[in-house]
Amino acid sequence: MTGVELRDVSFRYPTSAGNVLKSVTLQCRPGQITWLYGPFGAGASTVLLLAAGLAPRHTGGTMTGAVSVLGHPLDAAGLSPLLGQIGFVTATPHLQMSGIAATVWEEVAFAPANLGWPLARIEQAVEDAMTALGVAHLAGREPDTLSGGELQRTVIASMAVLEPAVWLLDEPTTALDAAGQTDAYRMFRRAARDGATVVVASEQADALADVVDRLIVLRDGEVVLDGDPMSLLAGDDIWEGGPGSTSVAGLCRDASRHVDSPRLAMPYPVTIAHALERWG
Amino acid sequence: MDSRNHRPAWPARGAAVWGPPILMELPSSVSARLLALIPPAVAINVAIGRIVAELHLPVYLDAVGTVLVSALAGPVAGIVTGLIGQVLTAFISGYIWLAFAPIQVIVALLAAGAAARAGFRGVPASLAWGGLVGLIGGVASAAISYVAFKGVTSGGVTAVTTILVSLGLGLAPAVTVSSLLTDVADKAITFLIVGVALRSLPVRMRGRYPLGQRAVRR
Amino acid sequence: MALAISMLAFLLPGPRGPLLLYAVTLVAMPIAGVGRAIRQGLFICLPLWFFLFLLHGVLGGGPTFGVGPFALSRDGAELALTQAGRFGAIITVSLGFYHSFDASRFLNAAAAKRWPLHLSYLFVATLHAVPAFLARTASILEAQRARGLRFGGGPVARARAVLPLTLPLILGALAEVDERTHALDMRGVASTRLRTPLMAPKDSVLDRVVRWLLWLTVGAAVVWRMVG
Repeated sequence: MTGVELRDVSFRYPTSAGNVLKSVTLQCRPGQITWLYGPFGAGASTVLLLAAGLAPRHTGGTMTGAVSVLGHPLDAAGLSPLLGQIGFVTATPHLQMSGIAATVWEEVAFAPANLGWPLARIEQAVEDAMTALGVAHLAGREPDTLSGGELQRTVIASMAVLEPAVWLLDEPTTALDAAGQTDAYRMFRRAARDGATVVVASEQADALADVVDRLIVLRDGEVVLDGDPMSLLAGDDIWEGGPGSTSVAGLCRDASRHVDSPRLAMPYPVTIAHALERWG
Repeated sequence: MDSRNHRPAWPARGAAVWGPPILMELPSSVSARLLALIPPAVAINVAIGRIVAELHLPVYLDAVGTVLVSALAGPVAGIVTGLIGQVLTAFISGYIWLAFAPIQVIVALLAAGAAARAGFRGVPASLAWGGLVGLIGGVASAAISYVAFKGVTSGGVTAVTTILVSLGLGLAPAVTVSSLLTDVADKAITFLIVGVALRSLPVRMRGRYPLGQRAVRR
Repeated sequence: MALAISMLAFLLPGPRGPLLLYAVTLVAMPIAGVGRAIRQGLFICLPLWFFLFLLHGVLGGGPTFGVGPFALSRDGAELALTQAGRFGAIITVSLGFYHSFDASRFLNAAAAKRWPLHLSYLFVATLHAVPAFLARTASILEAQRARGLRFGGGPVARARAVLPLTLPLILGALAEVDERTHALDMRGVASTRLRTPLMAPKDSVLDRVVRWLLWLTVGAAVVWRMVG
């Protein structure tokens, strides 16, 4: 079964000059972390909004094609039948807060309370989510007093509490430091291992290269590359009018234009570990 | 092939202006957006009042958020914004100010009516519509001020009332004149601000609010 | 209690009724631990009282009586005292309620009473949003001042400053609505299920008895005004 599937989807926002997505067909499988990668305007965020049932319902626009999540198509109103089972995180934590929680604990408990979970279940789930994201010690703090990183961890915990079957993440770790990023992706990796479908839209190639299972590259609303992340990031195609690869690969590619050496030839090393392996 | 052509999920054209759905029964897409839009709109009412105080201007501009939401999202959303704002004022400064809640309803309804007729398409239209709303709102304010407050509400308007009474005008006419003077100026400037804001909306944002586009004739 | 006193302020015959009610609030607020409501209430009421006595006492018509160098209208003074008592009682008890208000407790009580989330959410979210917007306003004022915008001068000059100060606030707020909408939607704010209260709000026997007594008093006052 596919986790998130778009079948021949074209989409245009109400005020777009043209289609933001053009006949896109892609599948993101359960048990994997899929990375949607592309420059600004490529359509990665739009894919996430469609999968979440937020577009065109909230954004307006015209869609053709079919979107389904865990085998369930969006309904006639464009509402995902899995609302409440999807974890949706973006890069701006202060815009994702509930606006009514007096403490971090209440913030994390906001969603399950809205869904009418029994209190005992909420309490256990909140404790688990806060522990996983390293914010248990902030339980009694007011959300307004948190730093950017603490806020982003809290936001991720606020979605993790739902134990979502699908994670849709749009630059979820921008506000996090290195330790925070590690904790977050460790949690997403665990979720994928437990069968969740995890889809990340991000331009942070360095952070994601060795974390994800599959890479889909978008350019101007079309899928241009789809496959193993290491292979794609080590090649030249990802540079052709696309977002580029990791810093290490970029360095090697640039250097290879000035120095003729087999050590700098394709496939480029993608991470520092790869580079050390190649260069001894 | 499945084609779904969506305007952002606001009520349909007729319903948006004259057919108010009950808040609790609004579709989920509308309610989430209203829950995101209304609190900052009410906060705008309060914050702009602070700006006006900083500038020492003899107006309140405490309905900018209400008018904005009415123009963007229709009369029901505008009414809810105005009422929440009035409840907040009453909560912080005394329940007695709840008596002015009907004014919020009047302003929101008239602002939505103005938006439906492209009343924010330019400065002259905005000022004219704002003046009209101020005229109608001023008469209603005067009635409430006279009956519930015996002519004494806030400093500026009551000072004008007192001067008029000391010049020999009866209490009821004095309250009416002072309310009209302040409300017409206040709402004219309010509509001017909202009109400029609507016309300044970036293209991407305009698409979310088809009612707002109609308000500026786009 | 705040609602009951507000209603009684208009039901009880003036000026003794509202003035007595104001005296009751002056005693009750410190007992309830919100004595600062009295001071804040005075700050709001004093200008209102001043205009009441000026407009109705000094400038009012009908038979007069002397108070020092002033001749006050008898009917006007009575009206002013009645209204002053009403203002005092209602504003003071409202402020007392405001200072004792706990947003979390309110939300959980609303959920326990099966109110739709929308109403309680709108009120509490607005309460939280206002201080943030006031802080943003202060930043905009500073930023525009730094860019050379003048706030002084004649009324026209000051009026010209309104747009550069208000537009960034409005456009900034609207720019954030999309993401807030998505986040709220994904967190089940539009769920049709009953919200789970996160804590059981306490409603002691004493609270309930006092509430019933207050409403009985209001009911008795209504009947008395209709019959009397």
